[in-house]
Amino acid sequence: MAAENTDIELRLLLDAIYLKYHYDFREYAAASLKRRLTNAPGRFGCETLSQLQHKVLYEPAAFAALLSLLTVPVSEMFRDPSYFRSLREKVIPILRTYPSLKIWVAGCSTGEEVYSLAILLREEELLERTLIYATDINPQSLQKAAAGVYAVDRIAGFTENHRKSGGRASLSDYYTAAYGRAVFDKSFKRHIVFSDHSLATDSVFAEVQLVSCRNVLIYFNGDLQNRAVGLFRDALCRKGFLGIGMKESLKFSPHGQSFVELVQGDRIFQKGNEP
Amino acid sequence: MAQSSTAPDLGYFHGAHLGPPLPIGTLVAFSVAVLAIVLVACLSYGALEGSADSARRVTHTLEVGEQLRALLSTLQDAETGQRGFLLTGHEDYLVPYTNARAALAGEFKAAHALIDGSGEQQRRLDSLERVASAKMEELGETVALRRAGDAAGALAIVRTNRGKEAMERARATIAEMQREERGALAARQADWLNAARISSIVVLGGSGLLLVLVAVAAVRSSRDYRERQTQAWIRTGQMGLSARIQGEQRLEMLGDNVLTYLADYLHAQVGTVFVAESGNQLRRIAAYAVPEGTQHLTVQLGEGSVGQAAKENRVLHVRDVPANYLDIGSSLGRAKPLELVAAPATADGIVHAVVELGFFRRLLPADLDLLARVSASLGVALRASKDRTRLEELLAETQRQGEELQAQQEELRVSNEELEVQAVALKESQSQLEAQQTELEQTNAQLEGQAQVLEQQKDDLFHAQAGLVERATELQRANQYKSEFLANMSHELRTPLNSSLILAKILADNKGGNLTDEQIKFAQTISSAGNDLLAIINDILDLSKVEAGKVELTIGPVVVATIADDLSKAFEPVAHQKGLRFSAVVDSGTPEKIETDRQRLSQILKNLLSNALKFTEKGKVTLQISPANHKSVAFTVRDTGIGISAHQQGIIFEAFRQADGSTHRKYGGTGLGLTISRDLARLLGGDISVKSTPGEGSAFTLTLPIVPADAPGARTADSGAASAPDSLLHPDSPAVAETPAARITLARPALEDDRERLAPDSPLILIVEDDPAFASILRDLVREMNFQCVVTHSAGDGKAAAFLYRPKAILLDMNLPDHSGLSLLDQLKRDPKTRHIPVHVVSVADYTHEALAMGALGYALKPVRRDQLVEALQRLEAKFSQSRRHVLIVEDDERQRDSITKLLENGDVQITAVQNAREALAQLRMSTFDCVVMDLNLPDFSGYELLQQMAETGEVSFPPVIVYTGRSLTADEEQTLRRFSKSIIIKDARSPERLLDEVTLFLHQVESQLPVERQLMLKAARDREATLDGRRILVVEDDVRNIFALTSLLEPKGAKIEIARNGREAIDMLTRSMSDPARAIDLVLMDVMMPEMDGITATREIRKRADWRKLPIIALTAKAMRDDQERCLAAGANDYIAKPLDVERLLSLLRVWMPK
Repeated sequence: MAAENTDIELRLLLDAIYLKYHYDFREYAAASLKRRLTNAPGRFGCETLSQLQHKVLYEPAAFAALLSLLTVPVSEMFRDPSYFRSLREKVIPILRTYPSLKIWVAGCSTGEEVYSLAILLREEELLERTLIYATDINPQSLQKAAAGVYAVDRIAGFTENHRKSGGRASLSDYYTAAYGRAVFDKSFKRHIVFSDHSLATDSVFAEVQLVSCRNVLIYFNGDLQNRAVGLFRDALCRKGFLGIGMKESLKFSPHGQSFVELVQGDRIFQKGNEP
Repeated sequence: MAQSSTAPDLGYFHGAHLGPPLPIGTLVAFSVAVLAIVLVACLSYGALEGSADSARRVTHTLEVGEQLRALLSTLQDAETGQRGFLLTGHEDYLVPYTNARAALAGEFKAAHALIDGSGEQQRRLDSLERVASAKMEELGETVALRRAGDAAGALAIVRTNRGKEAMERARATIAEMQREERGALAARQADWLNAARISSIVVLGGSGLLLVLVAVAAVRSSRDYRERQTQAWIRTGQMGLSARIQGEQRLEMLGDNVLTYLADYLHAQVGTVFVAESGNQLRRIAAYAVPEGTQHLTVQLGEGSVGQAAKENRVLHVRDVPANYLDIGSSLGRAKPLELVAAPATADGIVHAVVELGFFRRLLPADLDLLARVSASLGVALRASKDRTRLEELLAETQRQGEELQAQQEELRVSNEELEVQAVALKESQSQLEAQQTELEQTNAQLEGQAQVLEQQKDDLFHAQAGLVERATELQRANQYKSEFLANMSHELRTPLNSSLILAKILADNKGGNLTDEQIKFAQTISSAGNDLLAIINDILDLSKVEAGKVELTIGPVVVATIADDLSKAFEPVAHQKGLRFSAVVDSGTPEKIETDRQRLSQILKNLLSNALKFTEKGKVTLQISPANHKSVAFTVRDTGIGISAHQQGIIFEAFRQADGSTHRKYGGTGLGLTISRDLARLLGGDISVKSTPGEGSAFTLTLPIVPADAPGARTADSGAASAPDSLLHPDSPAVAETPAARITLARPALEDDRERLAPDSPLILIVEDDPAFASILRDLVREMNFQCVVTHSAGDGKAAAFLYRPKAILLDMNLPDHSGLSLLDQLKRDPKTRHIPVHVVSVADYTHEALAMGALGYALKPVRRDQLVEALQRLEAKFSQSRRHVLIVEDDERQRDSITKLLENGDVQITAVQNAREALAQLRMSTFDCVVMDLNLPDFSGYELLQQMAETGEVSFPPVIVYTGRSLTADEEQTLRRFSKSIIIKDARSPERLLDEVTLFLHQVESQLPVERQLMLKAARDREATLDGRRILVVEDDVRNIFALTSLLEPKGAKIEIARNGREAIDMLTRSMSDPARAIDLVLMDVMMPEMDGITATREIRKRADWRKLPIIALTAKAMRDDQERCLAAGANDYIAKPLDVERLLSLLRVWMPK
């Protein structure tokens, strides 16, 4: 009974959010959403999701807070270093043959991945002709990403990852640390466009050579995953590259056959000849 | 003990300035010794003084004696000298005398000094002096005389004995004096001896006393020294031990250190340390030379010496160790300890440990003393160590607990992470599974539904089929009935009708002359109605025959002119009657004869003509016979009647229907005539078509082949009825509608070909040949070789067919009715679309050189043998079936050119490599390429210009272009190139791979699909929209693909496109356009998501300027959200359009916001 109610309330809440704020979480993986929302009413001083829904409808501020709860802003730089190593070794040499490069980091969260890619490209001397589109649905995350400021105690882990990813220089070349924070080089931002974009509702905006969308699809249900992968496929140029998270797969996607797995373990795919 | 010995020391130090410098006893002893020494010294001094005086006197006596002897000797010398002189007279003998005389006074003086004070001796010396001077005087006298030469006198004097007497006296006096002196000496020696004896006695006594005192002092010193040494030993021991127990040591280590030190220091052979633990128990913590294994590791309080020592808290000394007590071993032997000692270590009265030691020697009190003394410090140290050990243990425990906690935490974290990962994976797989399940369920449900539907449909079909079969049988039966009925009926009808007609005719003839005019008219009406009825019956009969396939054709030569004559004879009067003009014309060029069924031809034409006359009120009706093409003849019946509306043109040929219900009423007729006519026409291998404009007239054209396609009569009406409608439909099929060229109507060939049943898998060969006989030979041959064929008989048709069907190869005749074959060849080779098709010429006329120069593959002169034709076809096949693709490489660097050639080279690809743009253009003009690989840096003009020229020159085909350049491109350059080339490759390590990939892609694309599209885009300038023509649109967009899409959409419509890649560039561009009215921007298409300055910001910035308040801005957004769009509007955009762009919507938006 309670579970049933929760399901109904959840659906209503997501509908309300969509109708009011146009954020579409309706196609997000239900189990994950439920987990994230289990304690949400309590945090907002509500007893049930219905009350939370009321609050969210009438208090935009509450929605902003809830949005952060609904999205999972967890990331680190050069996460899964082998992924970046594979990019460096297998993908970059081909990207080098394009006169100009566009890269889409979908679901960029707080920007760690974006800067990682920017650093990698700078090290490969490709950044000058590259534009990185960093998109996310959470404006707070985007703000953080655009700031490029991270707690200094995370840098050690970043550095280790960077080294493991085959980094050519020291990570410290790219940031300035002070007051317990590390600020990444402002010059990266000339090559990055941070933008609000929803994989659930919005469409393709540019033709890109590489899409990196890691650990985003896991929060989507099948339909939304398909939509997202479809967007990536449409955005990618012929023989473009798609990188997804270690636990993600294109195996079950109807667009799966459009891609060939280029690097087995690191989930890097290449768009095939057939559209 | 220790305290009592150290206390006086302390007192001494504290009272150093008050008390006696030495202990009393020592002081007294020292005082006695000092007194004794003083006494002895005094006595000795006195004795020594006496003996010294005596010695001095003895010496004086000896000196006096000596002096006296010297005086005597001097006197004797003087006398000796005098005597020598006197004897010799030589002065030399006189020297002793002279010397003695000089020394004598001194001698006496010295003697006086020696005996000064002694009265008797003084007097004797004075007398001696007088004697001596007397003697000297006598000597002097004699010497003086001898010198004077008076030797005798001198001798005389001497003979007086005066000198001798003086000498005698002097000797006596001296002897007396010497006697006197010797006596004094003896007395003095006796005195000296006396004094010496006394002094010896005193010294001996003093020495004895000192000896005693020294002995006493030595004994005392020795005792003190020993005492001190013992104390020092103990202290050293204590200090050594303290050093050993300093620092933070663990209990065992401390025990070891203590034991080792003590055993070493005390020369113990064996030892243990037991530490007191809770529960009155002592535990061994250290052992020294204890044999392993046998000894207790713990003892109870009071158990054994150790326990007892602990219990009593004192040093236990065991002197007589039992025989079987303990063996102490070494590698050399073993022995038993002689004595044992167990010493407790105490702190604050509590025993903390016991040290037990075993010795081979007897123990000294000092040993015990030391052990007793170290008790306290040892106790404290052990207690501290015990505490420390416990503390350490506690710390270790805490640490361990901490670690445990940490480990648990780590594990928790790990398992948490694992769980998360698993959860995510599970969730993912679950969601996937769920999705799959849902999908499956859905599919299942759908399938079930579909299955049901199918089942239903199957059932229905079954039913329908059954029904149909039934119906068919019924129909067949009914048809049969109908036919029979009709046959019977017509018979039945004709018979009475015949009689009625005859009778009516007779009546109308009024042979009897007894009928009134009225009655005659009635009879005529009956006759004419009967004739109509008969006509209807005949029509129905004909139709049913045609439908039932029972029409027999009688094909024979028919002279066209005769037909025209006959018809004009038949219809001219009718027309004239109706007030219409009638004419029948045979055009020149019309074959004289045609092979057909004369009766049926007449029937059709009559029907058409009677219809025309029927529906025409005024004007004229004409029959025109003309050649439709070289294979067929057209009979066209034109009228100026009411005409047929377009939508009715289709139905007039259908049986039992007429164009208009009212028509029927007005003009009568069964409406079967046209149906029958058309069916008959098709039977004859032709057809009827109609062109009509309501109110102006109609033209029915019967087209008949000059020679029927099939053997006359062999063909049943069946196939004709089935295939004919298809051929009519064909020109309207969608495949044809696409290509404008296809609108050229294709005449039907005189002989049947494959155009209506083209299969995609078999190659198609186009035959252009005006001679039907030869064409049919070619056709048969082509079919024999498993190709399909389309046959045309004129150059025009040939060209149209080439465009329409895109044949794989063409067999071409030179002498064609309309143009020459050469001109067709030229046209084919000039058009990019047909240029690649291989053409083989077969002709009577010899234009071999010209044809081959124009690009024909081969030339065969008629008459040809069959094997020559086969060879020609094989050559054609070889040409078109080779999947060779042409690639043009434009690259100025020779090595690069070679390497690209090598890269792309394989059996299927033919490569043409040129080094500059001019050559490239020449090549493009000459032949068709599937793909062009182009460098941008070319010696004559740049790659851009080359592309531009390729695009502008229509005669050059525009294959897909791959720009392959070593130069990095600016955004502008890239954008320019994008218009012509979809693929730009920067030369790098991996670029050959990509080049190969791209080339392969283009080579396998559907031929000429891309160029057409591209060409349409590039020169679609005619399709200008009035709204857009000449308008300037600023496209603010960073994505090249979108820019290209917008440009190629808008530029053909006449719009001028300016491009800015971000908001800032847009504002710059607008600012620049302000200064030049010719460049004024009419509208802005603004992308939202852009680098540097996004569209929203840019729009706001633009709206800030008063000049640009009215500038229409349309936002392009990839976002579907309403508020995003509202944001665009709020920023000042006039409208927005979502990506991907809907072309129609965009164009209508442009029209709205950019009115002319």
